[in-house]
Amino acid sequence: MADTHDHLSDHEYDGIREYDNPTPAWWHVIFLGSVLFAAVYFLYFGFNRTAPTIWSQLAAQQTAENKRIFGALGNLNPDEPTMRMLMGDPKFMNVGRSQFQATCAQCHAKDGGGLNGVNLTDDHYKNVATMPDLFKVISEGAGSGAMPAWKNYLSTNERVLLAAYVASLRGTTPAGGKPPEGNPIPPW
Amino acid sequence: MSAGPIRGNSLAAPALDEFRYDDAIVRKFTLATIAWGVVAMLAGVVIALQLAFPAANLGLEWTSFGRLRPLHTNAAIFAFAGNAVFAAVYYSTQRLCKARMWSDRLSNLHFWGWQLIIVCAALTLPFGITQGKEYAELEWPIDLLIAVVWLGFFGTNFFMTLKNRRERHLYVALWFYIATIVTVTLLHVFNSLSLPLAVVELVKTGQWPRGTDWLKSWSVYAGVQDAFMQWWYGHNAVAFFLTTPFLGLMYYFLPKAADRPVYSYRLSIVHFWSLVFIYIWAGPHHLHYTAIPAWASTLGMIFSLMLWMPSWGGMINGLLTLRGAWSKVAADPVLKFFVWGITFYGMSTFEGPMLSIKSVNSLSHYTDWTIAHVHSGALGWNGLMTFGMVYWLLPRLFQTEIWSKRLVSAHFYTSTIGLALYVLAIYTAGITQGLMWRAFDESGALQFPNFVETVTSLIPMYWIRVLGGLLYFSGIVMCGINTYMTWRARPAVYADPIVRAAPLSRDYADPPVPETALTTNIEFGRKLDAVVVKGWFHRVWERKPLKFSLLTLAAVVVASLFEMIPTFLIRSNVPSIASVKPYTPLELAGRDIYIAEGCYNCHSQMIRPLFAEVKRYGDYSRPGESVYDHPFQWGSRRIGPDLAREGGRQSLDWQIRHLEDPRQLVEQSIMPSYAHLLRQPLDFDSIQGRVTAMAMLGVPYGEAVKPGKAAAMAREQAAALSKQLIAQGGYDHLADTKALALVAYLQRLGTDLTAPAEPAASTQAAATETIP
Repeated sequence: MADTHDHLSDHEYDGIREYDNPTPAWWHVIFLGSVLFAAVYFLYFGFNRTAPTIWSQLAAQQTAENKRIFGALGNLNPDEPTMRMLMGDPKFMNVGRSQFQATCAQCHAKDGGGLNGVNLTDDHYKNVATMPDLFKVISEGAGSGAMPAWKNYLSTNERVLLAAYVASLRGTTPAGGKPPEGNPIPPW
Repeated sequence: MSAGPIRGNSLAAPALDEFRYDDAIVRKFTLATIAWGVVAMLAGVVIALQLAFPAANLGLEWTSFGRLRPLHTNAAIFAFAGNAVFAAVYYSTQRLCKARMWSDRLSNLHFWGWQLIIVCAALTLPFGITQGKEYAELEWPIDLLIAVVWLGFFGTNFFMTLKNRRERHLYVALWFYIATIVTVTLLHVFNSLSLPLAVVELVKTGQWPRGTDWLKSWSVYAGVQDAFMQWWYGHNAVAFFLTTPFLGLMYYFLPKAADRPVYSYRLSIVHFWSLVFIYIWAGPHHLHYTAIPAWASTLGMIFSLMLWMPSWGGMINGLLTLRGAWSKVAADPVLKFFVWGITFYGMSTFEGPMLSIKSVNSLSHYTDWTIAHVHSGALGWNGLMTFGMVYWLLPRLFQTEIWSKRLVSAHFYTSTIGLALYVLAIYTAGITQGLMWRAFDESGALQFPNFVETVTSLIPMYWIRVLGGLLYFSGIVMCGINTYMTWRARPAVYADPIVRAAPLSRDYADPPVPETALTTNIEFGRKLDAVVVKGWFHRVWERKPLKFSLLTLAAVVVASLFEMIPTFLIRSNVPSIASVKPYTPLELAGRDIYIAEGCYNCHSQMIRPLFAEVKRYGDYSRPGESVYDHPFQWGSRRIGPDLAREGGRQSLDWQIRHLEDPRQLVEQSIMPSYAHLLRQPLDFDSIQGRVTAMAMLGVPYGEAVKPGKAAAMAREQAAALSKQLIAQGGYDHLADTKALALVAYLQRLGTDLTAPAEPAASTQAAATETIP
């Protein structure tokens, strides 16, 4: 727009003048467009009970992922054969490793060698004699809360998988692991 | 141009008033702007350095990130930007009203009162004296002082100056100042309502408040409602403390500096009213996917989208005012600062609506993306506009040439380069971390399950931020040097010219409705064109400051009430959960330590119902879980992991050792050490007051409010926890320390949701939310 088209209004404040230019058309178009979009969005998500919500989307995703990961296995039992089966499947062990990093590594170290918590890689264990005991300790905790109970945080399947992963750590020899604590137990 | 009706009204020339403008007060505010700017930005550089290099906090409790971050934000917003706003208002209002400020005494009370507030902030925040609400951390005595200084001194002075003006119409800059003063009062008062511990002790528990008991209070709001009020405040502090006054600044100083008329008067009208009305609604976009009701979140999003054009109206009017003056921009550093400032305003007001879109927000929220966004606004818009104004004012205020124009140019280039480095690094950091948090591998496992990995990957970006921040900081140091040297060259006595202007006559007749150019339309259309489209109705309002202010107030109040009334009244917004119980007295004391240490600056307590988040932190947070949280502690940034379900995830011993030295357990942690909490005794005597205060705010404490009961309960729980800690192989000397109280609180977080409801409450539980 050239200056010649501008119409100077008679306003003047401390030497500041104002043009009487109209608001740009594109400004109106976008502004009214945003108002229209807002109205439609509000009505659709505010009053349509079949519209997806964040909670329905989460539930759907959780179901789908659970099905994808555990698939035909359904609900896992915290027994030795199930855990051995999981230990033999690299895909499951990867899921277990991720869970271990998220919830266990802060005490037991990323490699299971132990920090504040016990070393999980040697042959000595506290409160554990068999593989299913791992599940029990993970679920219920131990040592006056030194080992927290996870049953409120993780599903049974997640805990079984975690127990299997922890069992798989035995016999690895990470550098700088803590000295053994507890009693030696027979091999799995 | 022929003289308009305003000035042509006087047939017989009236006697002219003679008066002088008060520039001494502008000089004071300008110098304070620069001095506090140096402090604010230095604090920013220091805490930025702490994130890249944690040892930079020197291991002292007073200089930890959680204590200094509020000091940085308060200094940047209220000290640096605040004083800049006041300089702009005092300089321009007098000239736009053709009147000296109404009262020199109020001007000075305002100035010194505001500096006192800032000094009080600096003397309380590093010592952990805080209300724990972002950008509203200052404790209640300072809050009262703010209200008095803001409305009693500043507001009164401003409005009385408007009343005594000698210019018939209010210029657009003044509209924005009116909106600022009216709305900030409202925001500050209603968000800061709190119950002081000293009052509780004097009135209820009969104790004489000791020491910091005088400086402790709790928000009267809790949980969802507090979150709502806080972000109504927080968002609109950006709107009415950092946007509207700076638009007013722009409307005065930009046309002055460019010597060009403002592009469009009608655009001023449309964008002012749409901005004022729409901005107020948008606060809930800070709470997307949290436990606020879905309708509030939706309103927050759609009003933010509608806010895009009203915001850009200011940018258009600013940039198009420079049409035909671009050659001046190339030559004048003042205009360069303004052009970049307005450009950053345009960018951040586009980005704001974009970030308010829920799906975008699900990625950006809790990350550095938000930090980059606010810094492009604060350093880009507020900072550069301020510097432009300062450099325009210096020769006028100190009545001498500016000491070094080359240094002004150097400041411009240093600050823009610093700004670019800062925001680019932090945008990258934000998006990187957001993507890492939600990354899954093919087996369905979180790709970065260990939170600290997502922090470590940001460290290079944090170093670049330190560099960018240092450059920006060095810019304001240059500004300080230039100001000092210019000040030194000032005349021995400032010229104080007499200004002459006619007083407003009392018998002013409104000019007639202008003729419309429309000829073929019906009468209604012709009238609409003349009265509305041409802005005639608004011209009438501009002659009536009181009416104008009341209309502005009405716009913000109506918009606020539309959201607040349902938030506070509809019960279904916060379904109660029977198993959620008040914190024990010890946990409550621990919670106050959590607040005092500023833990909320780095840790959120709000798990959103997003798959990756539920996977990482546990079940999402319910509105009913924070009903006893005065104030809410949902947080806004995850520099560390979310703590909403921290309770029971670690042993007591782990928590204690982690507080003592985070790096002995998490090697790459950037969290400060809280070893001092293991040494400092817990003040059991104040616990009764704390519990009684909560009871007065409606938390069902039952037995614990009986005199002496709360402290006894706290000692009992502390003894039991200490015993458990020893059984876990932990320290044996912590029973009466702050550390144990804090850990008691942490171990409680989020555990009530799965706790068994008491049998008596089971009938009630059936009627409330079902917990999967």
